[in-house]
Amino acid sequence: MDRWFLIAATALAAVGGITGMLTVHQGTRSRWTVIWMVAAFAAQLAFLYVRGQMRGACPLVGIGEILAFLAWSLTLFYLAVGPTYRLSLLGVFTAPLVVIFQIVALLPGVWIVEPERIPATNPWRETHAAMSVLSYGALALAAVAGVMFLVLDRQLKDHHLQSGLFRNLPPVRELLKSMVRLLWIGVVLLSIGVVAGFMMPRQGGGAHLVAASGVWIGYALLLGVRQVRGLTGRRLAVVAVLLFVGSLSVFALV
Amino acid sequence: MELVCVGLNHRTAPVEVRERFAVPAGKLGDSAKELLAISGLEESVVLSTCNRTEFYLAGEQAEHAAAELRRRLAAEHGADSDPHWYEHHRIQAAKHLCRVVSGLDSMVLGETEIFGQAKDAYRQALDAGATSGILNRVFQRAFGIGKRVRTDTRIQEGATSVAGASVELAEKIFGKLAGCRVIVIGAGEMSRQTAQALVSRGATSVFVTNRSYDKAVLLAEEMGGRAVHFDEWQAVLAGVDVVISSTSAPHPVVLPHHIESVRRVRKFRPLFLIDIAVPRDIDPACGAIEEVYLYDIDTLEQLAGEARVRREKQIVECDRIIDEELKKLNLPGT
Repeated sequence: MDRWFLIAATALAAVGGITGMLTVHQGTRSRWTVIWMVAAFAAQLAFLYVRGQMRGACPLVGIGEILAFLAWSLTLFYLAVGPTYRLSLLGVFTAPLVVIFQIVALLPGVWIVEPERIPATNPWRETHAAMSVLSYGALALAAVAGVMFLVLDRQLKDHHLQSGLFRNLPPVRELLKSMVRLLWIGVVLLSIGVVAGFMMPRQGGGAHLVAASGVWIGYALLLGVRQVRGLTGRRLAVVAVLLFVGSLSVFALV
Repeated sequence: MELVCVGLNHRTAPVEVRERFAVPAGKLGDSAKELLAISGLEESVVLSTCNRTEFYLAGEQAEHAAAELRRRLAAEHGADSDPHWYEHHRIQAAKHLCRVVSGLDSMVLGETEIFGQAKDAYRQALDAGATSGILNRVFQRAFGIGKRVRTDTRIQEGATSVAGASVELAEKIFGKLAGCRVIVIGAGEMSRQTAQALVSRGATSVFVTNRSYDKAVLLAEEMGGRAVHFDEWQAVLAGVDVVISSTSAPHPVVLPHHIESVRRVRKFRPLFLIDIAVPRDIDPACGAIEEVYLYDIDTLEQLAGEARVRREKQIVECDRIIDEELKKLNLPGT
């Protein structure tokens, strides 16, 4: 049952993304993308609920569950901060990432068919896992906003202003503001996650915690440099995208 | 019942003819009421703008009344105007009104001001008691159709002037322009229009600089801004978001090093450079700076021209919507 909920969430996000791309290509705004994404979010919630019942804890064991949780977190932030942007277009950019995360989560070898029940939960461990993955949702959406900025920046620089995509993209300044806001939210959540990670009982070296701390330092530096010295929008966007892609390697160490 | 539209506009009459028949904005209702003295006429609305004067007439003998109206107009303002008048009857009159309120008959295709002007003309006629069953339905329906045309087509899309294209680009970069700061280099007509367009959308803190300081002061006063001496404009650059340059200098005035020197102070915020001078005022190398968006007069003209072409392509679709909506109506008088 849990698998079908995740498959449904993936299909709904895919439909939302594809219909959104088609309408944007025609030069109009996709009003339906947000509806599809709300439906995908509901399916994700159902998946997490069923899986949580099976685990008897927050379902964050193994890459599959982490990616599914991350996709949920990304959708959550999209639905929460979307009104800041033109909602549907952010959905068009977000949906493919959600689909990719969930497809990978469903792959044989990644997907755990019969999850074991977690015998005893530790609040620090739960906080660490939940806050870290939530922060990745915000940081992923910051990267999505970064990609949107880079597309718009290139079009404005090259004077290619006739595409439906250009007409539907939000203004440069709003994209930058939203990107910075999401980065701050992500860094604050990640800080809580990392601190909780060091507080939780550990077996082994905790290599992923070291990597997570490295990611945290990377984002903190980015925001610090922007705050103190200033950064061009392009550099901010490129670094936000690169840091997010690089930070995914932390999951390989979990 | 008959419905007739008698009018002249920018296509059929030059300004020296149009101005003779213009009705003051506050007297449209009185004028409509006075027309009811014509025999066979029961309802009327007078629409008068800088580009048109039109009389919408309804009654059992509205066609006869239209002929009488034209005779009176010729007697009052000269018979030489007669070839400039057009007449539309029944469904064609309703269709013409729909095209007018949709901006399809305007000098700037798709412009929105005419919608408000037509509404005001109708409201004045209604208040004066000059309208009843037919014109009330025709006008209210025309406003509904006009709204649908503007919503369902791209007849309003894209700016059709250099100033408008500049504003659209500024909004694409900064979003709402409230709080945007602008410097105008060179107090010429084009820069005045462009700055005015930005101010009308909320831009504040307009700085004006010019080789002749007096001209800068005049334009700054007009904009509610501040004049800056020509040798001091670089000091202002750090605080502005938009630079409009239109001097008659034979060489570039804004150079990359001017911008490079303030990038840190600006914290690399986006900077929109509008160069509407020929020869160009802003060194094209400025456009290579990451946070700078540089547009010259050719690019802006091209954008405006493309928008005009796009709007013209929408006319067929707009007419289709008008025909479709009018068919549903079965209007009396049409």
